[in-house]
Amino acid sequence: MSSSSDWEVVIGLEVHVQLHTRAKVFASSSWGFGQEPNEQVDPVVLGLPGTLPVVNREAVEKSILFGLVVGAEIPARCAWDRKNYFYPDNPKNYQLTQKDFPVVIGGSVEIELPGPSRNVMGEHKHVRIHHAHLEEDVGKLSHAGSGSLVDYNRAGVPLLEIVTEPDLRSSAEAEAFLRALVAMLTQAGVADCDMEKGQLRCDCNVSIRHPGAPLGTRTETKNLNSISSVRDTVIFETARQIRELEAGRTITQETRGWNADLGRGYVLRDKEDAHDYRYFPDPDIPTLELSRATVERLAKQVPENLFDRQRRYMDTLGLPFTAASVLVANRELAEWFELSVAAHPANPQGIANLVANDLLRDLSAAGSTTGFDEAAPAPVSLSSCPIKPAQLAGLVKLTDEGVISKQQAKEVFAEMFKSGQDAAAIVDAKGLRQNSDTGELEKIIQEVIADPAVAKSIAEYRAGNEKAINALKGPIMKRTQGKANPGLIDQLLRKALG
Amino acid sequence: MADILHTLSAVELGRRLAAGTLTSRALCAALIARYDVLNDKVGAFTHLDRADVLAQADASDARRQAGQGRGPLEGIPVAIKDNIAVKGQPLTCSSKMLASLVSPYDSHVAERLRAAGAILYGRLNMDEFAMGSSTENSAVRKTFNPWDLTRIPGGSSGGSAAALAAGLVPLSLGSDTGGSIRQPASHCGVVGLKPTYGLVSRFGLVAFASSLDQIGPMARCVEDCELLLAVLASADARDMTCFGSDERALTAAGEAKKLRIGIPKGFLGKGVAPEVAAAVNAAIEFYRAQGCAISEVELPSADLAVPTYYVVATAEASSNLGRYDGVRYGHRSAQASTPVEMMTNSRSEGFGPEVKRRILLGTFVLSAGYADAYYNRALRARAKIRAEYLAALSQVDVLLTPTVPTPAFKVGEKASDPLQLYLEDIFTIPANLAGLPALSVPCGQSGHLPVGFHLVGAPLSEAKLLAAGRLFEAAHGFAHQQAAL
Amino acid sequence: MAEGFDIDHLAKLARLSLTPEEKALYSSQLNSIIGHFQALAQADLPSSIDDARVVRESALRSDVPGPSLGAEAVTRIAPASRDGQISVPRVVDDEA
Repeated sequence: MSSSSDWEVVIGLEVHVQLHTRAKVFASSSWGFGQEPNEQVDPVVLGLPGTLPVVNREAVEKSILFGLVVGAEIPARCAWDRKNYFYPDNPKNYQLTQKDFPVVIGGSVEIELPGPSRNVMGEHKHVRIHHAHLEEDVGKLSHAGSGSLVDYNRAGVPLLEIVTEPDLRSSAEAEAFLRALVAMLTQAGVADCDMEKGQLRCDCNVSIRHPGAPLGTRTETKNLNSISSVRDTVIFETARQIRELEAGRTITQETRGWNADLGRGYVLRDKEDAHDYRYFPDPDIPTLELSRATVERLAKQVPENLFDRQRRYMDTLGLPFTAASVLVANRELAEWFELSVAAHPANPQGIANLVANDLLRDLSAAGSTTGFDEAAPAPVSLSSCPIKPAQLAGLVKLTDEGVISKQQAKEVFAEMFKSGQDAAAIVDAKGLRQNSDTGELEKIIQEVIADPAVAKSIAEYRAGNEKAINALKGPIMKRTQGKANPGLIDQLLRKALG
Repeated sequence: MADILHTLSAVELGRRLAAGTLTSRALCAALIARYDVLNDKVGAFTHLDRADVLAQADASDARRQAGQGRGPLEGIPVAIKDNIAVKGQPLTCSSKMLASLVSPYDSHVAERLRAAGAILYGRLNMDEFAMGSSTENSAVRKTFNPWDLTRIPGGSSGGSAAALAAGLVPLSLGSDTGGSIRQPASHCGVVGLKPTYGLVSRFGLVAFASSLDQIGPMARCVEDCELLLAVLASADARDMTCFGSDERALTAAGEAKKLRIGIPKGFLGKGVAPEVAAAVNAAIEFYRAQGCAISEVELPSADLAVPTYYVVATAEASSNLGRYDGVRYGHRSAQASTPVEMMTNSRSEGFGPEVKRRILLGTFVLSAGYADAYYNRALRARAKIRAEYLAALSQVDVLLTPTVPTPAFKVGEKASDPLQLYLEDIFTIPANLAGLPALSVPCGQSGHLPVGFHLVGAPLSEAKLLAAGRLFEAAHGFAHQQAAL
Repeated sequence: MAEGFDIDHLAKLARLSLTPEEKALYSSQLNSIIGHFQALAQADLPSSIDDARVVRESALRSDVPGPSLGAEAVTRIAPASRDGQISVPRVVDDEA
């Protein structure tokens, strides 16, 4: 939704992502969804007297990897600070974070907006990252009757907080950004971004101004845990702020929450001293040197940017946007596709068609579609795919050679998915080799043409109605038990009809 | 023999245990018996688990019989300040806030002691959360100076020093943030060492000021201190500020008689009592007579040390003590209808006045609008102080001053003026700010009260300090001294 | 009084509640201590702060999970607990 009249909405996002590690960021206990409360808590997590933080190398490396993925600067050093505030889910009553010397500085994320229609690629834009810093998550509070309960399993989980510049200008851009970010994070193995497990949360800063004017006062809506709630928050808050300003009121800088059920934002209770965090450098964690050797090693793990890949598929392989877009959304799938193309480079579109539609459909059949992005393709696992890339290539090759029709290819594919056999073997077993015998076909065509039932269609075709010819194809196919090569039928039929 | 065991050094006890003329059980039994007679009077210990001690002693004797002695401290009791975690033992920090806490884990130093075969012997009284210089801030009990039971033993490791001076244990652990090992050592006539920052792991030391705290050995002679230090100093991956053992720190380098000793200009004028000055001057003359080069050194920023310390230490403390809120462990107030109320009341009920003062001060120097004027300036001042000390220590091997300007004062005498007490840390504080090793060695008396002198060295120069201490000790009668009780 | 020293505000930030007597006593004591900090305010100081120690990545910990205390131990230490979780008075808002 774009801003109405002469208002421009300015949006910045702070995305908190739980990094893909086995142990916590400053403590060694494990973490992960679905454990009984307080089973993933050690003395350091609990903040017992005398305990100290030790930084998890993997958390640092995943953070650096993220920085490399977005083309950021990885500084020579980074350091941690204490953010002091009292809250029951905060075991030390300070959170270890990075205020002055974060691990990632700058960078940008390319996003793709929806096009005018489904099949047309939309506009691309770059959204700048201000920085990303590595910090610890807090425990989980739940409410029970007259009291509250705290589970510290989540306390100490590594969080990468990714802060954008206020470059977003619409809810569509915000959505596109999050979609692209999630794809980049999952494709590089930095994070799993599983919304059901609370692995990605977003704070959304919104302000309104007239174009060209200085930035307006912003509000911050916290703890959004799905793309739709971010989108809806932007829409809601934009409308609310416009209403306020047009009524002559001013915007208060406030912290807000989002009620997804009611579809409305609300002001969070104001905490008077919430803003004096008394940051100071954590004396328990020395400044960390980030070696260039490590950065170089991690640089090799950066996958191809999904939009670069998409452009390559469209420009070099001639794929249509829809297929390319579907393929690049999943790195494993794209790489699988490329292996298949390598086995049969002559028809990438044919391979893409099967992979993006049939293979994906069959692989996703068992999976769920819930993730941070409800519109995203379901996660698929190619490691257990019954078909190998070269086998799929083999199927397309048979079709290209005219050995089987495209129709038959679908049937063979289904069988391949079930049995894992090669296409050729299945074709032979089922006796599907197409009838490309011209002579026999010509004979059948003549028989069909002679049938009075199709006389009207023949007349219509000869009168200029292209589509009328299809009425004859059915009977021809029937007489060939579906084995005739449709291209050949078409060619011979037109020749016969003149 | 039992009647003299408490007078023997750890090194001598080790010899007798190894020779088989003494068992750990007999030693511990003798010490327990002495504890039963004296601890009420002196108040050094807040807790002693007799059954546990004797079980440890028996296990030690069994190991020794089986030829499986663990290490240099096999069978020797070491008493532990109540802010150092020992699994299964109280970890109260002498505070109401943690009165009920039993530690579920071992500190690194506790693990090291066990690995060396030591007997972990009881919990020692201290100023609450290590904040204080007299042990009067303990919420558990009073500790008295064995040399004069109407006076304070010093603090915050008052129990650690008093236990030694009363012959209740041969070795103890203290912790030092601004002088808390060295000052009570001086007041109680024993030896105390604060190691180079980072030499001994802080994992399991309840944090007061993270960039200043160190655990250190205390004993009745330098040789015993050395023995204990060797066990404590070791790498620990659980403390990122600990670089662990370093051979240089522990092996004697050069001859003590060749040491160049620097006397900071003007230090002997800083409110030092005449008898303290006399004892320390005599120590200086002793070294001069031995052939050490004595010179005056300039430390222009000396006056910044106390304010810098109190800004940095209280800032870090205000944050470190934030975790004490009655939620996960420790004291929880019964007055608690909201979480804010619960935390506020738990803390207000659990902390004593000195702790509250320091938390308020630390909160102030970090607060919005004031952090630049106080905390950030203090970090810069600290850098300057450290640079000056390192520069001085590139010209001399050690700096020598009194440990404390005046001897132990009477209980209650300084309770109403915290600032006055803070100012007495003038000699000990710089070593914490600069992360340098420092040693207090008994050198005389002021009347009947012990006086100590204070040596500071460059990073990892513990061996030089200890060698200088041994040289002095060998020529004087202060080693092994105990109060007559 | 030291500029900006507001004991009520500080006590709130630090989650301490003080009696009127305590407020008066501590204010006066702390003000005298802060007065002593003037040497710090006036000193000529270098611009760099003390950061003597920098560590390399070798000081970081490997990503190998270690043992946990177990919910039983956690709830045993806690002043109040229910169903493996630590209980506290009702939290009113959900903001972190």
